[in-house]
Amino acid sequence: MQRIALVLLLFVVFPFKAQENRRDNPAGMLSLGGRTTVSLFNELKNEMSGSGVGGQFRLRFSDAVNTDWFFDYITSDILNYAHRTDYHIGWSVLFYPINNHNYFHQTTQFKPKFRPYILAGHCFDYSKIEAKDGTNALDGAMYAERWSSAVQAGLGTHLELSPRFDLSLTGQYMVHLGNHIETDYDFTSGTLSFNEHKGASLAGHVLVTLSLNYKIAKLWGFSRR
Amino acid sequence: MGIQPKIIGLFLLASTLVYSQEKPWSHWSIQSSYFQPSLLRASATIAPTRFYTQQTTVAFIHGFVEYVLEPNISVRGEANIMAPNGQLVFTNEPEKFPRNYSALYAGFGYHFGNNNWKLDFHAEPGIAFTEMAQDPYSVIPSRFKWSACPSYQLKAGTSIYFSRFCHFFAEFNYGNGWIRKTPLSSLSIAQYGISAGLGFHLLTKKLN
Repeated sequence: MQRIALVLLLFVVFPFKAQENRRDNPAGMLSLGGRTTVSLFNELKNEMSGSGVGGQFRLRFSDAVNTDWFFDYITSDILNYAHRTDYHIGWSVLFYPINNHNYFHQTTQFKPKFRPYILAGHCFDYSKIEAKDGTNALDGAMYAERWSSAVQAGLGTHLELSPRFDLSLTGQYMVHLGNHIETDYDFTSGTLSFNEHKGASLAGHVLVTLSLNYKIAKLWGFSRR
Repeated sequence: MGIQPKIIGLFLLASTLVYSQEKPWSHWSIQSSYFQPSLLRASATIAPTRFYTQQTTVAFIHGFVEYVLEPNISVRGEANIMAPNGQLVFTNEPEKFPRNYSALYAGFGYHFGNNNWKLDFHAEPGIAFTEMAQDPYSVIPSRFKWSACPSYQLKAGTSIYFSRFCHFFAEFNYGNGWIRKTPLSSLSIAQYGISAGLGFHLLTKKLN
């Protein structure tokens, strides 16, 4: 009888323990933030590094999995004869390989900490390449544009400065999967032409992003504490 | 009266002075810590700013709104608008510098320090809206074109909260970005400047 009572007691205790863990689960946490991006090693010939600005929200699904939903507006130069504008809208999945437990288990004195992650995702993008002088005497406005899709993967880390606020630094490579636009510039005559190549291309660029994020809500799994 | 009672009397007097100095000060500093979560503060001022790669100094009309989220963290939005005829020192060719310039930034701040004297650091991504000449060497009147340029601003400053509704602030600002929509080489808008003045604040939630 005593053994049965002990087993029953254990069965009663375990669900309580499980519930306690569920209260600590950060799933459903929504963050809002701004970001600034540097674009390096761009796909176009003579294209220089670019800079961008954007925003994002972050929705967490579990201890180990988070998601970023972002918009970026990036501009860059192609030497001094053209410039390029990119609009990215997409999402990334963040996986925390270490330090993914005890998310809410803060000591009385919070200490800033790093939380590294691996990231992969997808985005849609619109690119426009314009001649610097904007027009051509014969053809009018000089520009080429494309809609394409892209995939990206990389590494990053959060620097959590408070339980709700973090800085995040990410380095990722983005591969564009759509048509490819090439610029040809004749330095002797000063003429610029655009050539569009049909079919998928694996050209891309490295994006280094610094974002600032603040947790604003818990969309599900809310519990009073 | 002998010397001993006099010394004791002096000690007693000295101890009451120390006590009286300590208590009101500590009482004041706890009670009047105006910088707390839910504090909303705002101000507007003139900010002299140097575009150092363009050798040009301008006067910005500068305004900000900031809300304190946590004891050390705030969210902040601000705007810089180049004052009409605001080019204070101008050594670049006018055609190669924006005729109009405005910038919007939004970001977060981190605040150090105790009670009513704070050191502040801010990082703010943003966009600069600029209007540039498109035919700088043309004899006929130039066309001008607006463009939106990704930018960011970093700030370091200090604030002293001296009353329930007012504070003084002083900040050093650094910003960067590029204007690409020009017929010539892209124009750097790297800049540094200062802003200082009287700010206003309000606690939007009742203290516990």
